[in-house]
Amino acid sequence: MDASLLTIQPNAPEPIYRQIVEQLRRLVAGGQLAAGELLPSVREVAGFHAINPMTVSRAYGLAEAEGLLERLRGKGMAVAATRRAGQTEHQRLALLEPQMVELARHARELELPAEPVLRRLTRLLGD
Amino acid sequence: MNAMLREKESVAAVPLAARGLTHCYEGSNVLRGVDLALEPGSVLGLIGRNGAGKSTLIRAMLGLLQPLSGSAFVFGEPALKLGDDAKARLAYVPQQPEALAWLTAQQMLDYVGRFYPRWDTEFARKTLERWKIQPNKLLAKLSPGERQRVDLIRALASQPELLVLDEPAAALDPVARRELLREVALRAGDSGTTVLFSTHIVSDLERVASEIAFLHEGHLLLRCGVDETKERYGRLWLPAAKSAAAPAQALSRRRHDDGSLSLVVERDAQGRWPEAAELPGARVDALGLEDLFVEIAE
Repeated sequence: MDASLLTIQPNAPEPIYRQIVEQLRRLVAGGQLAAGELLPSVREVAGFHAINPMTVSRAYGLAEAEGLLERLRGKGMAVAATRRAGQTEHQRLALLEPQMVELARHARELELPAEPVLRRLTRLLGD
Repeated sequence: MNAMLREKESVAAVPLAARGLTHCYEGSNVLRGVDLALEPGSVLGLIGRNGAGKSTLIRAMLGLLQPLSGSAFVFGEPALKLGDDAKARLAYVPQQPEALAWLTAQQMLDYVGRFYPRWDTEFARKTLERWKIQPNKLLAKLSPGERQRVDLIRALASQPELLVLDEPAAALDPVARRELLREVALRAGDSGTTVLFSTHIVSDLERVASEIAFLHEGHLLLRCGVDETKERYGRLWLPAAKSAAAPAQALSRRRHDDGSLSLVVERDAQGRWPEAAELPGARVDALGLEDLFVEIAE
């Protein structure tokens, strides 16, 4: 993986370390990052994006704790091998949580009852 | 005796510290009792409106001006009486460098380089070229922006343990600015350089700073990790009908023309927003640092 694959928005309300973890989750879930693939070093990411290396370490540490990444001795971080077996539905659903919270909020602000929103969403999902 | 030694060592481990600094110009208070200490390897971004006293605070912390009261320490030594050894470990770039104007950029760098044990000649040469400074032009003939760039090169080439930059971004175009931020970030990571920089460009600070300090009307209003600040504060909006339920504790409070209310609020220790956030019609928005500063500095 190349450091340029990450997009950093320093002025977003979301802290940079969370932006990185979120993107790693998506890249892994979407298959752009395969199991065993090596990640760029903390220094490479920090240098490419001109961000504090501690922020990158924090993101990698969090992703490791989540089981998304694993530390390979002498090689650095890689996408966790066990990941390939597929995340549970529950885990994949959790990735959508922020968008769903946001959608629910907009629906409430528009004073829309749940039913038509769910109907439309079902159509969009193609069932 | 041992306790005293330990005390001395722990103070020396703090690259830069200020206690109760106050200062005033022509009767108006610029600093009203500022305490600030930098941990080794941290990158502290100092932010505040124009005239908030950022430069005064920096100069007082480095012993370049005598404060009305309070004290400052660099590597544990009183800032007003810094020894040569401490000076060689420190690099400071003022907003408007004026020293050695009768030399050319190259002469100045060659000259000051001799005073620094870890001077990086190669870095100085390359960066002069990349930042498009004519090495043979007199410093006095350079534009203020070019002067500051030469001074940034001087500061970085000395490979300091403590790097203090006063509004470094003003003199740089976006490409050079990004390059400077990269240098700052990587040096903090690789060599544990401690960095203090003041800026009004909040996104620069968000990239490289590990912590921010917000100077407002002579006080440090906020001193927090960059990530923690973003996660901890938010803007609570209450419709007019519910504005009586606003929490008493808020960093700022603004009443809108329609009677609704905006407040900057903080999560409690369990990560919960104040109760009023649950009221019908109430809303909490995440705040970027810039929005946060605008809210509380108004």
